[in-house]
Amino acid sequence: MAVSVETSAETPVEPMPESAPKTAPGVRVGGLSVVYKTPAGELPAIAGIDLELRPGTITGVVGESGSGKSTLALSLLNAVQPPGRIAAGSVEIDGLGDVVGLRGEELRKARGRHIGYVFQAAQNSLNPLKTVGKQLLDLGRSHGVSDLRALVREAKELLGRMGLDGARVLDSHQHELSGGMRQRVGIMLALVLNAHLVVLDEPTTALDMITQATILRIIREVHEERGLTTMVITHDLGVVAEVADRLAVMYGGRVVEQGPTHEVLATPRHPYTRGLLGAIPRLVGDIDEARALPGRPPTLGTVPREGCVFRERCALRMDVCETVEPPTVADGPRLVACHAVEAGGAVREESA
Amino acid sequence: MTVIARRLAGHLARGLVMVLVVTSISFVIIRNIPGDPIAARYEKLIEQGMSPEQAERATAVLYGFMPKGNLWQQYLDYMSGLFRLDLGESLMTPGAQVTDVLFEATKWTVLPVLVGTLLSFLIGIMMGVYAAIKRSGRLGDILAVSGSLLHGIPQYVLALLLGALFTTLIPILPSGGTADIMFEPGFNLGYIGSLIEHAALPVLTYALASYGGWILAMKSSVVTVLGDDFILAAELRGMKRSIVFRYIARNAILPLFTILALSLGLLFGGAIFIERIFNYPGLGLMLIDSITNRDFALMGGAFLLITIAIIVANIVADMLYTVIDPRVRSGEEAGR
Ligand SMILES: Nc1ncnc2c1ncn2[C@@H]1O[C@H](COP(=O)(O)OP(=O)(O)O)[C@@H](O)[C@H]1O
Ligand code: SF4
Ligand SMILES: [Mg+2]
Repeated sequence: MAVSVETSAETPVEPMPESAPKTAPGVRVGGLSVVYKTPAGELPAIAGIDLELRPGTITGVVGESGSGKSTLALSLLNAVQPPGRIAAGSVEIDGLGDVVGLRGEELRKARGRHIGYVFQAAQNSLNPLKTVGKQLLDLGRSHGVSDLRALVREAKELLGRMGLDGARVLDSHQHELSGGMRQRVGIMLALVLNAHLVVLDEPTTALDMITQATILRIIREVHEERGLTTMVITHDLGVVAEVADRLAVMYGGRVVEQGPTHEVLATPRHPYTRGLLGAIPRLVGDIDEARALPGRPPTLGTVPREGCVFRERCALRMDVCETVEPPTVADGPRLVACHAVEAGGAVREESA
Repeated sequence: MTVIARRLAGHLARGLVMVLVVTSISFVIIRNIPGDPIAARYEKLIEQGMSPEQAERATAVLYGFMPKGNLWQQYLDYMSGLFRLDLGESLMTPGAQVTDVLFEATKWTVLPVLVGTLLSFLIGIMMGVYAAIKRSGRLGDILAVSGSLLHGIPQYVLALLLGALFTTLIPILPSGGTADIMFEPGFNLGYIGSLIEHAALPVLTYALASYGGWILAMKSSVVTVLGDDFILAAELRGMKRSIVFRYIARNAILPLFTILALSLGLLFGGAIFIERIFNYPGLGLMLIDSITNRDFALMGGAFLLITIAIIVANIVADMLYTVIDPRVRSGEEAGR
C-alpha cells in the first residue's frame, strides 16, 4: 500500500533530461543580458534580448563581429565563459525549462544530448591526443549511450553525407584532418546524439564555397528529417538566405530586426539591415567587408549606454535616438527596433 | 610501430656517436689535468712513511697498470677497451675493474635519484593540477608561491639545510654510507631499514629540489590546456567531468615527461654535490674521489657513465613523447 502511494506520488515528477520530448523544441529567450568583466567594470555584450526560436524552424542570426552572436549562442547552453556571466533574463527550452537555472549534472546532460552545439572555433574542437572515433565513444559514454556500435554507424553515415570517408575520419587524429574536415567532424558530433535543438556558430567559415553549399544543404536536410529547431549564426548573408526560415539581425548586443528571412531580405526596415544589404551587391558576402556601411561596429567599451546603439552610423538619426533606446515594435511577423520605423512599416521621411 | 622503431634506431646511432665524441674529449681533458698522477701517488706514498726509493718503485709498479706509450696509443687502447666494456683497472682500488667499481657506485646514485624524482614528480603534478584549478583561491596561491620558493633554492643549499636539520638539530637520520655495517647485507628487515634511513636525506633532497619545479610547470601547463578550445568544446558537448579531466591531464602532462626524463639525466650530474655533502658513496662521490686521487681510468669511466645517463634520458624523453603524442608520431613522418 505504502509503496503504491509513493510511486503514484513520484510518477508526475520524471527525471528532467530523459523526459525531454524528442520533437523540435521551442526556445524563448527573454530579457537576456550577458556581461563581461573588464578593467572598466562589467560591460554588457548583449542587453535585454528577446528572441523566439519556433519549433521546427531554422533561425539565422547575422551581425558584424562583436555584435554578441556567440555570446547569445553560448547562453542557450548556459555556457557563457568567465569573465562573462548571464546577468538577467531567461532561456526557456521546451522539455528542459529555463536553462539559466540549470546547474551541474542536469546542465551537462542537457548539453550534447538535447542541445547540439557547433563551436565557432570548430577547427580546434578536438582533443589532439585522441582519434575522432575515441572521442565519439567518450561522448557516447558521457551520455549513457548503450549501443555504441549504432553510434559509430550513425557517425559514419553523417560524415559520409558530408562527403567524408567516415571510417577513415574516425580513425584519424585532429592534426591529420584539414580545417574543413574538422568543421564537419564538429557538425557530426553536434548531430550524432540526436539532439533536437542544434546551435551552429559560424559552421562554414573554414570551408570553400562548394563545400559550404554542401554542408548547408545537409544541415537543412538533417534539420527537416529529424524535425529539429536550429539556430545558425553567420557572418554571411548568403548562408542565411540559403538555409534560414527566420532571420535575426544583431547589432551592439541587440536584436535590431527580425522576421521571415525572405521578408527581411526583400524589404529591410532597420537602417542597419538596409545598410548591410545595400552594402553587399550580391547576396553572398561577408558582412565585415561591407564597405558601403560607414564606420565600425562598437566594442564592449564603446557601445552607447543610452539611446540607440546604431546612431553613430545611422543616416536617419534623430534627436530622440540620442537619449531613448528604440523599443522593439511588432508588425505582423516583423520586429524592428528603430525610432524611424513607423508601426505601419514604412520608414519615416526620406532616406539619406 | 615502425615509425617508433626507426626513430629509436636513429637516436641510438646518434647517441653512440655522442658517447664516442664525449669519451674522446674527456680522455684528452683528463690526460691534461695538471698534477701528474705518478707524482701525486709518489708523494702520497712518502706521506704514508715510505722512503723515496720505495715510493719510486711502488709507483713504477702502479705505472705498469697505466696504458703505455704516447697519448695517441693510450687513446686507441682506451677506445678499443671501451668496446669490450673494459675500462681498465682502478688506481684507487688496485686490482678492481673500473666497470665493477662503477657499477657498484652507480646503483647507489640511480636508486635515490629515481625514487626522489619520481616521488616529487607524482606529488608535484598533483599539486600543480590543484594549484591550476584553484588558482583564484588561497590554497592555490599558497601552493604556487611555495613552489616558486622551493624552486629558487639551489639543490646543494637544500642538502646542507636538510643535513643540518636532520643530523644535528634533530638527529634522527644518519649521514654517510649506505647502511650500518652492523647489519648483514641481504634481504632482511634490519638491513633494508638501515638502507632506507641512510638514503632518506639524499632522496629527500632530490625530491624537494625538484618538487617546486613540478608544481610550477604542471600548473602553467594545466592553465594553458584549460584555455584550449577543445576543453570548452568537450564541455559544450556534455562530456563527463571525469573524461574532461582526463583530457586536461593527459594534454597537460605531456610536455612534462620531457622535463622529467631530462632532469633524471641532469640529476646524475647534480648527485656530485649531494653525495659529497651526505658522504653517500654513489657515482658522484666516486667521481670526486677519483679526481683527488688522479685515478684517470675511473674518472673517465664516471664521465662516460654520466654522459650515457644524460643521452639515455634524452632518448627516453623523446621516445615517451613519440609514444604518447600522435602529432609527433606522424608529424615527423610527414617532415621527412
Ligand atoms: N571573454 C571575453 N571577455 C571580454 N569580452 C568579451 C569576451 N568574449 C566576448 N567579449 C565581447 O563581447 C562582445 C560580443 O562578442 P561575441 O559574442 O563573440 O560576438 P560575435 O560572436 O558576434 O562576434 C564583443 O564586444 C567581445 O569583445
Ligand atoms: S533609432 Fe535612430 S539612430 Fe537608431 S537606427 Fe533608428 S533612426 Fe537610426
Ligand atoms: Mg562569434
